[in-house]
Amino acid sequence: MGKLISFRLALAVPQLILVALVVFLMTYLVPGSPAAAILGTSANPERVAAVEAQLGLDQPFFTRLFTWFGSAIQGDLGNSYAVGRPVTDMLLERMPATLSLVFGGLVVAVLIGLTLGLLGGTRPGSTTDRVTTTITAITVAIPEFWLGIILLLVFSVQLGWVPVLAYTPIEVDPLRWAQGLILPSIALGVGSAALIARSMRTSMAETLSARWVDTLTATGMSRRRVIFRYGLKNALIPVLASTGLTVSILIGASFVVGQVFAFPGIGDLMLRSVIGKDFPVVQGGVLMIAVLVIVVNLVLDICYGLLNPKARPE
Amino acid sequence: MTDTYSINLTRAPKPEKGTKSPSSAKRIFDRVRRQPLTVAAFFVIVFLALVAIFAPLIAPYDPNQSDYSTLLSGPTSAHWLGTNDLGQDELSRLLYGTRVALVVALGSVLIAAMLGVPIGLLLGYRGGWTDRLGSRLVDVAQALPGILVALAVIAILGRSLWTLMFAIGLIFTMGFARLTRAVTLTERHKLYVESAHVVGMKERVIIFRQVLPNLVGPIIIQAAVFFGSAIMIESGLSFLGVGLDRDTPTWGGMLSGAVEHQAQQPFLAFAPGIAIIITVLAFNLFGDGLNDAITGGVRKSPRKKLTTAELPGMSNAPTASAATLPGQTYSMGAQDAATAAPDATSPWDSRADEIRTPTGATETLPDPVEGAVLDVRGLSVSLERPEGDVVPLVSGANLSIEPGEIVGLLGESGSGKSMFAKAVMGLLPPRTRLSAGSIMFDGDQIAFQSQRALRAVRGAGIGVVFQDPLSALSPVHTVGKQLIEPLREHKGMSVAEAKERAVELLDRVGVTEARSRLDHYPHQFSGGMAQRVAIAMALAADPKLLIADEATSALDVTTQAQVLDLILDLRDEYGMGVLLITHDLGVVAETCDRAAIMYAGEIVEVGTTTDLFHAPRHPYTSALLAANPASDAQVDRLPTISGRVPLAGEWPVGCHFANRCAFATEACTSAPVPIVDQVRCVRADELTLEAVPR
Repeated sequence: MGKLISFRLALAVPQLILVALVVFLMTYLVPGSPAAAILGTSANPERVAAVEAQLGLDQPFFTRLFTWFGSAIQGDLGNSYAVGRPVTDMLLERMPATLSLVFGGLVVAVLIGLTLGLLGGTRPGSTTDRVTTTITAITVAIPEFWLGIILLLVFSVQLGWVPVLAYTPIEVDPLRWAQGLILPSIALGVGSAALIARSMRTSMAETLSARWVDTLTATGMSRRRVIFRYGLKNALIPVLASTGLTVSILIGASFVVGQVFAFPGIGDLMLRSVIGKDFPVVQGGVLMIAVLVIVVNLVLDICYGLLNPKARPE
Repeated sequence: MTDTYSINLTRAPKPEKGTKSPSSAKRIFDRVRRQPLTVAAFFVIVFLALVAIFAPLIAPYDPNQSDYSTLLSGPTSAHWLGTNDLGQDELSRLLYGTRVALVVALGSVLIAAMLGVPIGLLLGYRGGWTDRLGSRLVDVAQALPGILVALAVIAILGRSLWTLMFAIGLIFTMGFARLTRAVTLTERHKLYVESAHVVGMKERVIIFRQVLPNLVGPIIIQAAVFFGSAIMIESGLSFLGVGLDRDTPTWGGMLSGAVEHQAQQPFLAFAPGIAIIITVLAFNLFGDGLNDAITGGVRKSPRKKLTTAELPGMSNAPTASAATLPGQTYSMGAQDAATAAPDATSPWDSRADEIRTPTGATETLPDPVEGAVLDVRGLSVSLERPEGDVVPLVSGANLSIEPGEIVGLLGESGSGKSMFAKAVMGLLPPRTRLSAGSIMFDGDQIAFQSQRALRAVRGAGIGVVFQDPLSALSPVHTVGKQLIEPLREHKGMSVAEAKERAVELLDRVGVTEARSRLDHYPHQFSGGMAQRVAIAMALAADPKLLIADEATSALDVTTQAQVLDLILDLRDEYGMGVLLITHDLGVVAETCDRAAIMYAGEIVEVGTTTDLFHAPRHPYTSALLAANPASDAQVDRLPTISGRVPLAGEWPVGCHFANRCAFATEACTSAPVPIVDQVRCVRADELTLEAVPR
């Protein structure tokens, strides 16, 4: 267990460095000087030069690289051009909303996905299988944000079943937090549920055609028991292997779904910053999401190792 | 993160040899043509392309023409899909929106392929550090949310059509790079690339001549799938307002406007969303269909229920057609089936003393054997092919096993011997059915019983050991858990008791350090040890019969002998009957009291091991003995049986072995040969066959 975690951690470190390096290099790709972006295009050259010196932009490449890395490690990602606040603070403020939405979407995706996948995968070729396969094929093609629009329209505007709620932080009111998450989570999770269902279906069908299923059945075990006690764990391994990708898709889609439900998440901040050319925020946002993705994958990799004895380092 | 995304690689279709040749392109086209859904998807795509091209001609209005007299209207005769907040015609904007969707998707997929394929080729071909570092970078980049990558690109480059295509293209670049790298890696180790090296072709030439053609298929499939995703992402970015400017009609942009004015005009949200879904669905379905056509995978054909009417029946049921069938090769198609309509799923009528074999003959069954632990009479198994025809796999097999007796079932692969065992256990694979027969286990009928009823017999009555021990145990559960389960199930033991018993059992079958090995996983065992564990599992509930289905075939010779000795010892100790299924004459000679010889779905001869080896009565038995190198050390050439085994579905109406038999006469091929006095040969009484010299 300890070995497994340290092994995976060791793999994550170079990934983090690599991502940080790419994010740093983004600075060099932006056309025009950041100083001009701060001061506006009409600023005189002396002031631009002064600001550049203040930001350390006149330093050589490696000096800038190490300075940037040094402060990034300490959590300093610079200040916003637009509002002048530390980027890290701005991002962290918005993290809970994004995490809530992604978490809600993941719960919906996993619950619906595994159920549909199990229904089809345990009886491949049956009517149930064909129905679930058709449902997932169609669901995959529905854009998450459009589903959000329709859900909002039907359940909140027309039927009034679910109140149109702004995001409420969990520490303020857990009930309102949960209520506000219902529709966004469904909108976000259904598409990924289809992906999980497809993967689960294939995996379960393959698992149940394995030789050991016959061995266990031959000991007199019921099919239900073979499927749930033994088949499920085997079938979950490939599904878990693709969950990292699912989470990444959920994070990306949460940016768009978040706009439909006016979620004050990182997506909203990123969007404003992209439009407003607030580059440090964009840079910091990319880095923070990348770190989030790497951490999620690290956790999933460890779960994968726990589930699959062959993946444990000897 | 490497493990996390391995699924992408495994999902990547194997490059099929010769996807480049025109004949295979035609074959793919033919396959696609036979998939109605794929064809429909293709026509939807063509339709969308036509809409995009001729949008100015079809659209009733200029998409940017504002009509301030009808703002936010629902569907009217003038504006079929209503108008937006600027009074612009939604239908016209929808039609023009097709242009952006398709152009951006096409552009981004092309950009992705142009960037990704060279990267993949470089990584796959260079290998070493380039590959290690590059692949890591590609992995990390692919792990990032696509929208995030696109936002970063747009933040750097600003908004334009080209930026949008590049931003979306960059997301898919990694997918193409990984795919190309994987294909290149497999291709470069193939013989022809290495021989091209020997011939002295330049590396670059090798890549372009040999590797690229094999990439075409997978890349096209990947592109079709990315196309759908690209449309989704484009609509998302347009919805967020970072795609194209507002004057350009886009589906995402229309939805953005619809959300703003949702309260006033809810109708506006529907049409653009449905357009996106239909477009994405068309590309996804087309990609899936193309994938199936190129990789040769068969899409699940609609399942046809195996109706009892299609099964060969028993003679005690009305079988008017019996007389019409003999005289030609039997094919159990629906035309025959319609006439024979016994209810094969109903419990076997124990009074029946005849069955009708798949070849249409009526065969008299032997008398039930009193006191046998297993008495199988007239067992027949058939397979329903996806195309719908029913093929017999085992026909009219009779075999009985006394308590404490070891009986061999000997046959070549495909002879139906494993099907026989699976039928006894009620574990027939999908599409195969027990079509007739009586299976008496310890005095009880177990043929045509429900799975629930069979559960009491499995484990506690009959234990099974399969061929490959390593695949016979669940790889992700400890051996202990799998061994304890049947003990708890059948013996009602507590966990602690079951654990003690499991240790005893493992100890008994010769697994050393049994207690500590309970916590081990199957892959931590050697083949021989894993097979001992499998035997322990089969024995856990003290069965009266042990079926060993090629249980020693996968093991090396020494281990094989040890495992066989173990089975012999256990037979003596527990007094159980053993059915030993094997293709190995030596195994039968060494261990079995009696044996049955199986050929092309039929048992051709049954007898004591001594009789079979020294006085074979069926020409096939004799030929089998002669072909066994160990039986005669003096021959300088390995004798073989000429000809080949007829495949299931191609069985002749007469003796199945006739076409290879040196003694065949007219009588052998004209009519089905029944098993009489333990041998299925019309000339059994007149032939004196070669045997193993005493």
